Amino acid sequence: MLIPHPLLGLRDSQEFTYLGDASLMNRPDPASPSAEAEFCDYVFLRDNPAGVHRELWFHEQGDRSWLVVTRNTLTHEILGAELARTLPVRGAE
Amino acid sequence: MTDLIPLTALGATDLRSERLGALTIAEDDSYGLASLTLRKGQNAPTPFGLILPAAGFAAQSGRTSAIWTGPDQWLVLGNGQGQTDFAAQVLAQTPNTSVTEQTDGFVCFEIRSDAGGPPIAALMSKLVNLPPETYATGRATRTGLDHMTVFLYRREEGHLSVLGLRSYAGSLWHALATAAERLAQAA
Amino acid sequence: MTRLNGGLIDRTTPLSFSFNGKSYQGFKGDTLASALLANGVQLVGRSFKYHRPRGIFTSGSEEPNALVTLHNGARSEPNTRATVTELFDGLQATSQNHIGPLERDLLAINDRLAPLFAAGFYYKTFMWPRAFWEKLYEPLIRKAAGLGALSTLPDPATYDKGFLHCDLLVIGGGAAGLVAALTAGRAGASVILADEDFRFGGRLLAESDLLDDSWPSEWVDRTCAELASLPNVRLMPRTTVFGTYDHGIFGAVERVSDHLPPSDEAVRQTLWRITAKRSVLATGAIERHIPFQDNDRPGIMLAGAIRAYVNRWASAPTRNADDPVAIFTNGDDGHRTALDLLGKGVPVLGVIDTRPDAPVFGRYKVFAGATVTGTKGRLGLQAIQIRQNGQATWLEAGALGVAGGWNPNVHLASHHRGRPVWDEGRLAFLPPSDGPKGMFPAGAAAGNGATGVAFADGMRAAQQALTELGMTARNIPLPHVTDTPNAQAPYWHVPTTKRAWVDFQNDVTVKDIALAHKENMRPVEHLKRWTTLGMATDQGKTANISALAVMAELTGATIPETGTTIFRPPYTGVTLSVLGGGDTGRHFRPYRLTPTHAWAKAQGATFTEVGPWMRAQYFPRDGESHWRQTVDREVQSVRKDAGLCDVTTLGKIDVQGPDAAEFLNRIYANTMATLKVGMVRYGLMLREDGHLFDDGTCARLAEDHFVVTTTTANAGAVYRHLEFAHQCLWPDLDVQMISTTDAWAQIAVAGPKSRQLLQRIVDSFDLSNEAFPFMACAALSVCGGLRARLFRISFSGELAYEIAVPARYGHALIERLMTLGADLGVTPYGTEALAVLRIEKGHAAGAELNGQTTAQMLGLGKMVSAKKDSIGAVMSRREGLAQDGRHLVGLLPLEPQSQIPAGSHLFTRGVAQTMQTDQGWVTSSCYSPHVGSYIALGYLENGHDRLGEVITAANPLEGQSFVAKVVSAHLVDPEGGRLRD
Repeated sequence: MLIPHPLLGLRDSQEFTYLGDASLMNRPDPASPSAEAEFCDYVFLRDNPAGVHRELWFHEQGDRSWLVVTRNTLTHEILGAELARTLPVRGAE
Repeated sequence: MTDLIPLTALGATDLRSERLGALTIAEDDSYGLASLTLRKGQNAPTPFGLILPAAGFAAQSGRTSAIWTGPDQWLVLGNGQGQTDFAAQVLAQTPNTSVTEQTDGFVCFEIRSDAGGPPIAALMSKLVNLPPETYATGRATRTGLDHMTVFLYRREEGHLSVLGLRSYAGSLWHALATAAERLAQAA
Repeated sequence: MTRLNGGLIDRTTPLSFSFNGKSYQGFKGDTLASALLANGVQLVGRSFKYHRPRGIFTSGSEEPNALVTLHNGARSEPNTRATVTELFDGLQATSQNHIGPLERDLLAINDRLAPLFAAGFYYKTFMWPRAFWEKLYEPLIRKAAGLGALSTLPDPATYDKGFLHCDLLVIGGGAAGLVAALTAGRAGASVILADEDFRFGGRLLAESDLLDDSWPSEWVDRTCAELASLPNVRLMPRTTVFGTYDHGIFGAVERVSDHLPPSDEAVRQTLWRITAKRSVLATGAIERHIPFQDNDRPGIMLAGAIRAYVNRWASAPTRNADDPVAIFTNGDDGHRTALDLLGKGVPVLGVIDTRPDAPVFGRYKVFAGATVTGTKGRLGLQAIQIRQNGQATWLEAGALGVAGGWNPNVHLASHHRGRPVWDEGRLAFLPPSDGPKGMFPAGAAAGNGATGVAFADGMRAAQQALTELGMTARNIPLPHVTDTPNAQAPYWHVPTTKRAWVDFQNDVTVKDIALAHKENMRPVEHLKRWTTLGMATDQGKTANISALAVMAELTGATIPETGTTIFRPPYTGVTLSVLGGGDTGRHFRPYRLTPTHAWAKAQGATFTEVGPWMRAQYFPRDGESHWRQTVDREVQSVRKDAGLCDVTTLGKIDVQGPDAAEFLNRIYANTMATLKVGMVRYGLMLREDGHLFDDGTCARLAEDHFVVTTTTANAGAVYRHLEFAHQCLWPDLDVQMISTTDAWAQIAVAGPKSRQLLQRIVDSFDLSNEAFPFMACAALSVCGGLRARLFRISFSGELAYEIAVPARYGHALIERLMTLGADLGVTPYGTEALAVLRIEKGHAAGAELNGQTTAQMLGLGKMVSAKKDSIGAVMSRREGLAQDGRHLVGLLPLEPQSQIPAGSHLFTRGVAQTMQTDQGWVTSSCYSPHVGSYIALGYLENGHDRLGEVITAANPLEGQSFVAKVVSAHLVDPEGGRLRD
């Protein structure tokens, strides 16, 4: 596969390390009264969609950016890639 | 000045150099290396008069050059500064940034061609999975080479610097020399 | 000899070769198959199942029959298709799959037993008794299966790999491919033209139609010369594109020197990974045959292959020059072969055309509305039976060409699951419309096989592909060609009650398909499994569509309703060695050397692999006959005097920035923000699930500058984790990090005399306990001005330091320390002693941090701060983890000289050993010279409350059981006084 790196253009996926579901960016609020349950969801439960999926890729043999890649898991079509650091943090601070 | 005698990354007292067909591969330990990362909100400084390059590119000014290594991050190379505290010099030029000494973090192999760009392109096509424009003259990039991570910095049409982790120097040399040797043999 | 005039062979370069030990002669430009045919050799092998005599059937990579073994010994290459083996001087080939001579194969008995081997016989025959499977059936089947045999010796050949990028990859260099490449090449696009053949031209080389007024090969040569002159075009003959992968990535194998005598130096094959923005699929078409009774004899071939042998290689398909050749066809294409044979002076028996209104194009006999219904000739065709108007006649024939139509070669277009589409007009499956993105089928591969049409189609495909890239490709002048008639009628097989082969390689007959139908194995996938149709090296390239047609006839459905199979890589077989990329032995993977490697080697050290690193394992001295002697000595030296160990391999991450302290506070389970400048703290990193991830030290060099060390194994993972935490979780923190592992040579100086030793190299630096206490760190200079970093940390439990200098000085530093410390008894130690020292001290390492353990288990539960958030903090408080009663303890076997293997399970003494009574496990184990006994570490249920208890450690895999006393994990200096002195 080729990953469209927002800064470096198309790069072979072999340069990257795959992590998984981009929901890992939504770390729960550790101070929440139900923090333990929320962390359980966060750590253990993932959607596994047959279709469009947002996922984290690390440009290990490149600029060390974490990317959020939107990929169709059925066709491997890549609909976009963004630098994770530029995305709004949706988890609580 | 210390009286300790340094060893090259390939574990010898002398730098290794080998001519293979149209290419010469030579270990070069003369560079001082430091990585420079901006802190939040900082504007890019101009260390040693360098205009720090954009993603995928390199810049040179006098004996100093820099290659882009990541967002707001560069590797600064000081020719002839291999035995000095180059990171301190870079920091002096770029106060309040984050500077890290990398002089011995990387081994530098200089690949020179006496037939212009094609032999270098042929060599790289055996080693890195990149379209040639990503390592055209004036460009620099990091990529994988035989499962190792390297920086490629094309200084001139017939001159490419390959920087790899120092501990991998032997394996990197093997990869470069084997590929060059096969090209020479096929020519 | 049946060599004809003309052809594209170089008669000035004769080549000698041998087949089954007999010498023959061919010419440069021959394939093994064309040279054998020119020598009158028709019989080249035995079939897989029935051991029927078989000959050359095709002229390309689709060959099902003519599989031979090339070379011998370690270089022997079984199942090589003679049809694509380029002849070279000295080539040695042998036939396969027979016992005794090829002409009198003892296993031909299988042919008599044919009824036993009908479709599904594996499933029916070897079912019971069950016990027979492993002992009898499987070994028997394995022995009988396969065609050629592997040498089982290491492959001495050299392989290579590489990567190519282009705008347009043209796959196949026939009429359409050459025009596509030239169209795009002239437009300035970067083009790769790959063809599996050693000569470009495809079917153009096999046909005799003039292009403009010249021979096809002349036009091909001119075109190739222009392509070669374009710097933006790369010509890759002998290169098979075998797989279509995602986003325009293709796998290809270039046979670099398979056409030359074998050599140890020359690269044999190169694996190319080609990334193409667009591709043109110009892979041509593969001819199909028409099954009829006894249609598998040597001398029966595809009619198009006969044309190729006659026109390109000047080889007649018969054993003797005056043997007549017959053609059996359902269309006009078969007639072309008759005309070309006549043109070369080969006697033609006639064309047997299934069409009642068969045309006549020349001076040869046509049997209209006729079929072939039988053949004779045990080792080569002698006669055929022609049935016409209800009359059967036997006529002598030395060869028979069969023309059943052409199947577009859609293989690479359906590697992404796209299903080929039936075209009733062309009687063929065409490439799917939902094939790989960016791929443009053209020419015969797209069903547009007539030469003139293929030229235009190739140009159209290249223009469309380039338009998508924003480039413009002008029309190029195409050669004029008079297209030959190519009408055909659907006619799929000649009915018979005897055997008519559909798939030659797997010995699948029309009867087998009928049986599969009867047994309800009707979907194509079931048909394939039940009959083995389309399996093995040729993957049914000449069989699949004919089989579908037969099944369609049986079910009464249409061919598209019956379905078709899709394909997966590789298109043709790929050598496993070339997929390996060529690096073997010491260079199988790259490896890392420490800065003191050369020194350690000179000391005679033994090395061990630690991840990619080579580390000194121990340093034997003269007179030491066992590694334990060496390691015991090294351990004792550290405990008594001083030792040196290269610890460069530990990961070092430079963390800087105003928020560095806050960031590390969130990374480490324990507090880091309070660490004073000039001090080091041991830290635990958890995974977000609360388990231990990694441990190491964190040194604060300045308010905004830390150095984090990681374990050797996790250096990469921890760095990735830190970048994740920063970029994905807390991008607002102003923190910068970079790996700096290789920049510094780091040497542990451990032992009671380490301070004394270091004092001799530091440049006026006060190492006293007051000035530089336990867990202090500093930047300083050593040996007359060399910048260095010093950390007072200890893994061994002794007074110890780690000193870091620029890596290039690591070698000189350890030499200096050895010289200056000679009177102190300084000794180098390796990873074995390092491990013994830390086990004695009860320090955790990889075996204790195995991904299933917690800080609590390690006895460090209190380190996980409850006052702040950090990764893993919330989950570490989960009931199951927080209440985990297993603790790290030390174990002393009551029998001091018996070693409890790591991995042994712990049980209360005297209790039955079951899953339910399992109390924990042994993590690390070694001989401790300090204790004078074997010792071990392990996690034990309520371990902290069981000190002194005698328990059982069991290793049921080896039937071993040990009794051991539970002790503190810290067998050396449990109070830690030595560290702090």
